Amino acid sequence: MMESVLSEDLYRNPHRLSHCGKTISFNCKRAPGTNDNEGSELIFCSLSFEREGNTFLKAADGAAVISRKRLAHVDIVKCKSVTDAQKRATAPCVLVIKKSEKRSSFQYSLLTLSSSNRLEPCVEFKLPYQMKGAVYILQGPTVLWRHEGGVLYTSPQAEGVRQVPIHFSHCVVGELPLHKGQVFVLGLQKLPEESTSQTLGYFVEDGQVFDGSVILPHLYISITQCILVVAADRVDGVLKCDVVAATSNRLLVYFENGVVKDVCQLPFEQPENIQVVNTGRYGSLFAVSFCEGHVCTIWKETFQIAALWSSVTSIHVDDFLGCGTDQMLLVFKDRIIALEEFLITDLCGISFSHGQDTDAPKTSPPPSENYLLTLKALESRLQSGLTVLQELQREVTVKESVLRQSVKALTDVVSEREPVLTQHEQEGLIALWDSDDESKNEALDDKIHDIPAVSSKPRIDKLWHRTTEGRMVVGVILTTDRSAPVTNVSLSILTDAGQCSRPAVIQTQSQVFWLPAACSSPSSSSSSSFSASTFPEPPAKKSKQHNAISTNDLNACRVAVTAVTKLTPLLNSGRVKCHVMLHYIQTPDAFSFMSNQRPVVLHCGQVALDIQNNLHTELLKTPQLIADEVREDFLSLLAVLDHWVFHIDSPEYSLGDINGWIQKRVGCKKIEVSPQYLLLNSSGPSALMLLNWHQITPFQGELHVHSSQLQMFQFLDSLLAYLPESCSIQPLKGAGGKGASKMFALALEKELVSLREYASLLLCEEDEEKLKEKCFGYKETPDAGSVEGLQKCRAMCQRDLERSNMKLSPLVDVGQYRRLIQSMSKIQLNGDLAALLDIQFSPLMCCSGFHG
Amino acid sequence: MYQPPSLLEKWSQENNELVNKCKQQEAGGGAVSQDHRQSSLRWCSSEFHKLLRKIQGIPPHVDHSQLELAVVYNTCVCFTAQSQFSEAELLLKEATERVLQVTGNNADTSDPLVLWRAGLKSAGNTALHPHVLYLLCLQWALWLAKCQLENIGELQEQMSSLCEIVCDGVGDGSPSEAKGRLSKSPLLVMEPKRLTELLQICTSIAQGAEKLNEGRSSEALSDLQAASALPATRALVAYTHLLSGSCLAHMNRPQMALQCYKKALETDSRCVCALYRSMLIYRQLGNTQAEIQALRLLHSTLMLPPATEPVLGGIQPLSPSLLLSSQSLSRLLSVPSALSVLYSLALKCVLSGRVTEGVEHYLDLLAALHSEDQHAVDAEVSVLPRMPELYLEAGTALLFTRRPADCMAFCNEVISTTLELVPEKVVLEEPEEGIGGDARGLSVEGEDKVAMLLWAAAAYLVQGHCHAHLKDWKQAVTHYTRCINLLVKVHLKNRDFQPQIPAADVNVKHGKDLCTLQRMKGLSLAWRGISFTQMDQLREALRDLQLSLQAFPDYTGAGLWCGEVLWRLGRKHEAAACWEKTWSLTTQTSVEKLPLYLQDPQSGPLLDSVELRLRIQELGLT
Repeated sequence: MMESVLSEDLYRNPHRLSHCGKTISFNCKRAPGTNDNEGSELIFCSLSFEREGNTFLKAADGAAVISRKRLAHVDIVKCKSVTDAQKRATAPCVLVIKKSEKRSSFQYSLLTLSSSNRLEPCVEFKLPYQMKGAVYILQGPTVLWRHEGGVLYTSPQAEGVRQVPIHFSHCVVGELPLHKGQVFVLGLQKLPEESTSQTLGYFVEDGQVFDGSVILPHLYISITQCILVVAADRVDGVLKCDVVAATSNRLLVYFENGVVKDVCQLPFEQPENIQVVNTGRYGSLFAVSFCEGHVCTIWKETFQIAALWSSVTSIHVDDFLGCGTDQMLLVFKDRIIALEEFLITDLCGISFSHGQDTDAPKTSPPPSENYLLTLKALESRLQSGLTVLQELQREVTVKESVLRQSVKALTDVVSEREPVLTQHEQEGLIALWDSDDESKNEALDDKIHDIPAVSSKPRIDKLWHRTTEGRMVVGVILTTDRSAPVTNVSLSILTDAGQCSRPAVIQTQSQVFWLPAACSSPSSSSSSSFSASTFPEPPAKKSKQHNAISTNDLNACRVAVTAVTKLTPLLNSGRVKCHVMLHYIQTPDAFSFMSNQRPVVLHCGQVALDIQNNLHTELLKTPQLIADEVREDFLSLLAVLDHWVFHIDSPEYSLGDINGWIQKRVGCKKIEVSPQYLLLNSSGPSALMLLNWHQITPFQGELHVHSSQLQMFQFLDSLLAYLPESCSIQPLKGAGGKGASKMFALALEKELVSLREYASLLLCEEDEEKLKEKCFGYKETPDAGSVEGLQKCRAMCQRDLERSNMKLSPLVDVGQYRRLIQSMSKIQLNGDLAALLDIQFSPLMCCSGFHG
Repeated sequence: MYQPPSLLEKWSQENNELVNKCKQQEAGGGAVSQDHRQSSLRWCSSEFHKLLRKIQGIPPHVDHSQLELAVVYNTCVCFTAQSQFSEAELLLKEATERVLQVTGNNADTSDPLVLWRAGLKSAGNTALHPHVLYLLCLQWALWLAKCQLENIGELQEQMSSLCEIVCDGVGDGSPSEAKGRLSKSPLLVMEPKRLTELLQICTSIAQGAEKLNEGRSSEALSDLQAASALPATRALVAYTHLLSGSCLAHMNRPQMALQCYKKALETDSRCVCALYRSMLIYRQLGNTQAEIQALRLLHSTLMLPPATEPVLGGIQPLSPSLLLSSQSLSRLLSVPSALSVLYSLALKCVLSGRVTEGVEHYLDLLAALHSEDQHAVDAEVSVLPRMPELYLEAGTALLFTRRPADCMAFCNEVISTTLELVPEKVVLEEPEEGIGGDARGLSVEGEDKVAMLLWAAAAYLVQGHCHAHLKDWKQAVTHYTRCINLLVKVHLKNRDFQPQIPAADVNVKHGKDLCTLQRMKGLSLAWRGISFTQMDQLREALRDLQLSLQAFPDYTGAGLWCGEVLWRLGRKHEAAACWEKTWSLTTQTSVEKLPLYLQDPQSGPLLDSVELRLRIQELGLT
C-alpha cells in the first residue's frame, strides 16, 4: 500500500529536460525487488513527439543504481542539458544528492546521459551541508551554488569544489553564448573605504575579473532574479552583449551593452528562468517561467507580451517537430513515461495540444483573463506596428515638403523669378531710417535770436540741478497758460560770461515731462540740443525732433523740462555758474508743424554747480515720500536713464497681473510722487531701473523701461519667461508713438475734409449764379396737359439735361483753382510731416534693433 | 575600457528627446486633424510610460528622483490629456509613495490627501520639492476633471503656496533659478506655470458655477471677477465674464449682467453663450426688439461653421474643456441649437407684429428641417414643437400676412397627415388636482391620438379663417363645422369639471390639451356664428355664438358678435347687456402662451366698440 502510493507519487512530476528534439524525464525510485537492502535507482525515459498521433512516444528508457544503501535518501536536485567541454557536445545532465543517514554529509553527483542512453557519472563531490537556494548547472558541465555569502562551483576541469575569491553581497549568474562557453558571476562588492558598492564580474573558467556594468547596470544587480545573455561579442577585448533580465519589480528589462533598451511589465511575481525561442522568420520569443507554474512569453522585437499560461509544470524549448525552428513544450500534467497534458506551440502557427479540452481554454486559471492578456499582447503588437507606420508617414510628409520647397526654388531659378521671401526674411532687410529733417529745422532755428514779444510767458516755478556720474541734470518746472500752449520746449545751458567775453553754449539733451498735476499720465518727450558756437553768433540749434510736443499741449499746465549735460566741460572751464535758457514756440494751433511761429528764448536763472548735490539720494532712501526733493530726483533720473517703450501684445492669452509680478521682484518699490512708476533697485545705484506698466486691455499693454541697456535686456529676459508664449514684444521708438499715429490720422482727416470743403466751395459759387438764373426762368411747372405745356416741359427737360452735363465737367475760375491747389498743398505738407513722424515712431521688429 | 553611460544620463536624454518630439508634434499641429493629434498623444503617453517603467524598475534612488518625478509628470500629462484619469492617478500615488521611500518616510495610508500632505512635508526644502509640487498640480487637474472640488478645497493651503512658488518663481532672476537652468533639469511636456494658470482659472470657473448653482451668487461674483484678471486664454476669460453676468442676472441686476455678457463677447467673439444669455435678459426685460435682434444674431452665429481654435504658441496638451466638465457649468454654458433659435425667432417676430419677417423665418425653419439629414433632425425634434404644430403656426403666420392660399396648403398638409390617425372617439382624462398639468405621460399613445385630433381640428379652424378672410362664408362655415365635428369626438372624463369657469389660473392645472380643446371649441363656434351672421342666418349665428360663450366665456369676440346678432334680431336691450357684460370681462388670457394658431384671426369682419357704445347710448336715450 505504502509502496504503491510512494511509487505513484514518484511517477508524478518528474524532472524533465529537452535534448535534441526529445524530452527526457528523470526520477528516483527505490530499486525494485523484494530485498530490502536494495538502494535507490535513477530512472530516465526519453520521449519523442509523434505528429500523427499528436502524442509523445517512448524513444528510450533506462535506469542506474545510485546508492545501494537502504536508508540513504536519493533526490534529484536539478537537471539540464548543457555543453560538455570535453566532448564538445550538449548532453543532458542531472544532479543528484545522496543524503546519508546521519545527515552530516551530503554526497552530490552529476550524471550525464550518453548518446548510447547510459547514465555516466561526471562529477562527484561531498559537502558538509545541503545546497539551498538556486543551483545552476552550466556549461562545462559546471555546478554552481551559493553558500554563506560565497559562490562555489565545481566542474570536471576544476577538480574539486572551488570558491569564487570575491565576496559578493548580491550576485547574478549567467553564461555568455560565445564559442567558448563563459560562465560568469556578477555581483556587488562592498568597498571598505567607501559606502558605495562596485559591480564586479568574474569568469569562472579563467578566474578573470571584469567590470560588471558592461553586462548589467549597477542598480539592477540587487533586484535581478535571473538573466539571459541573448548575444555577446568581444570586440578588441571589449565585451559587448545584449542581456534580458527579470527583476523582482515584475519587469523584464532588455539591456544593450549595459544600457536599458526596453522594459516590459511582467504579469507574475518571482521569475525563475528565461529561455529564448527562435521561431524562425517570425522572430524570437522570450519565455519567462515563474514560480508556481506561470509562464509568460514576450516578443523580442516589440518587447510586448505574446502569451501567458498558468499551472505549467515545466516548459522546454527545442525543435520537437523537427522542422528547423524552436517550439515551446508546455507540460501541464506530467508522468515519467508519458505527458498527459501538454501543448507544443511557437505562437506562429504551430500548435499541438494533448489532454486539453479543445473547447476549454488551454490554461486553467482565469481563462478569460488569459484571453484578455493575449488580446492585449496582440493589440500592443498591432499598435507598435502602427507607430512605425506613423513614423514613416511623418517622414514622408517632411520629405515631401522639402522636395516641394526645392522644386519651387529650382523653378524660380530657371524662370529667373525673384524668389519670394518670407515675412521674416524681409524683416531682416528693413533699413533703419533715422535721418532727420535738418533743412526744415535749420530754417526754423535761424530765427531763434529774434525774441518776439510774447503776451503770456511761461512762468518758471523752480530751477534745480543734480549731478551724477559725470553728468549734470538741470531741471525747470514751469507753468504755462492754457490759452497759449508752448511746443518744442527745450533747455540749453550757457556758461557764465565771467572773464570771457562770450558765454559758451554747452551741449545738452532736453526732455519734457508733463507733470501729473496737470495731466493724468506723465508723457515725456525729448529733444537734444547741440551747439558749439558762441553767443553773439546765432547759436545754431540743431534740434532733432524725436517727438515734438504735440496734441497734449492744450491740456498742459505744468511742465518739467530737464537738460542733461556732461560735467567735464563745465569743470574744465572752471565755471561754477551757468545760465539756463528755455526755448519754446508758443502757438495756438497744436497742429501746425510748419507754423511760422518763431522760437522764443527765456532766461530761467542761474545754477551754481555743486558736485555734492548728488542724484536720487532722497529718492532711493524713501521712495514713498512725497516731496519736491524726491520729485526732482525722480525727474532727473528719468532724464539721465535711457528710455525704451515696449508694446506687449498677446492676442490669445491674457497677460495677467504684470504689475504684481514686477512688484514681487527683489528691491522693487513704488514711487509715491508718481505712482505709476516702480523703482527697481536690486543692486546699487548703477543698476537703477524705473518701470511703468500701462495695461491697455487684458491682452495688451505698454511697458516703459528707464535703465541701462544691459539691465533692460536682463529684465526683458526674465519677463519673457513670465509672459505667455504667444506674446509679442515690440519696441516703440521713443515715447508717444501712439501720439504720432494719432496725429497722422488727424492730419489725413483734415486733408480729406479740406479737399471736400474747397472743392464744394468752388463748385457752389459757380452753381449759385446759375441758380439765380434758374429761379427767374421757371418758377412754376407748366401743365403737361396742353400742347403748349408739353413743349415747355420738353424745353425744361432739355435744359436740365444740359445743366447736368455741365455739372459733370464744370468750368471753374483759374484764380480760385490756384488758391485751392495752394492751400491743399499746404495741408498735404502737414500730412506728409505727420506720416514721417509716424514712421519714425512706429514699432520696429526686435531684430532691427532697439535703438535704431 | 568601454564605459556605458550612466542610467540617469541616458534616461534624462531619452526624456528630453521625447518631450521635444511631443512639442514638435504639437507645434506642427496647426493643420493636422484631431485624429492625428490623438494618435500622437497616445504614442507619447506610451513612450513616456515605457520610460517611466524603466526608471521605476529599480529601487527609488535620491539621484534619480528628480528625473523620475519629471517623467511621472510627463506621463501623467499625457494620460490626463487622453482622459485616462485612473491610470494617471495611480501613477501619482506610486510616485508619492516612492518619494516617501526615498526621503525615508513611510505612510501606510490610502487616503490621497494624507499621502500628499506627507509627501509635500517629506520633500520639504529638498531639490525634489518643486517636482512634487508639479505632481500636485496634476493631482489638482485630475480632481478638477473629475469634479472633486472638495478635495481641492481641502488642500487649499498647499495649492495657494504652490501657485506662488510655481507662478511667481518664474523669471525673477533668483539664484536658484539660474542654478536650475544650468544644471540640466529634465524637460517637461507642459510648463508647470501654464498648467497652474490654467488650473487656477478653471477652478475659479468651476467653483463659480457651483456656487451659482447653490445660489451663492454674490460670493461667486467676487471670485469670478477676481478670476477675470488671471492670465488665461480668451475663451476662459470670456467664461469668467459670462458667469459673472449670470451671477448678476441671478441677483436681479439685468443691466449689469448685460454689461458682463458684452464684455464676454468682446473678449471672445466665439462666446455664443453670452449672446444667448443676453437674449434671455432682453426677454426678461420685455425688450422685444432687442430680443429679436439678439435672436437673429445668435442664429446667424450658430449657422457659422464651427470656428477652429486658434493655434497658440504650441497647443497645450491639456485643454480647458477637459477640466471644465462639471454639470452645473455645462448647464450654464449650454446654448440651444440653431433650429430652435430660429423657431423662437420666427414665433417672436410673429407675436411682436413683424409678421412678414416671421413668415420668412418659419419658411426657413421648415426648409431646414426638410433638407437636413434625418439624424440631425431627430436630435432637434425633442426641443422643437412637433411638425404639424410648426405647419399650423407657419400657416397662421401666412394668413396674418394675407396669404390665405399658402396657408390653406399648409393646413391641407396637416390634415392629410393627421386625419387618418384620428380615432373615432377619444376620452380626455382630467389630470388629478394634486398632480397638476405635468401628469401627461399616462398613456403616450392616447395622448398622441388627442394631439392628432387637435391638430386636425386646428387645421380646419385655420382653413375656416382663411375662407372667412376671403369672405367665402359658405366655405368658412363648412370648415368650421368640420372642426367642430372633430372636437366633439373628445369626451371629457371628469366628475367635478365645470367648463363654465375655466379661469386663467385653473387653465394651467387642467392641462394643456383641455385648454386647447376649450379654446378651439369657443373659436370655431364663434367664427361659424360670425360667418352665419355674414350670410344673414341670424338664428344659427345666435345659437353658435351662445354655444361658443358657454364653451369659452372669455372670448370677447364671441360676446360682441352675440350682442350684434341680438341687436340685428331686434333684441336691443339684450344686445346692450351682452356687450356690457363682454366689456366688463377683464380676464385676458395671456395670448403669448397660446399656440399661434389658436389666436384670434387678425382679419375678418370687425365690430367697432365705439360704434357699439354709441348704439347703446342711443338705445338709452330713446
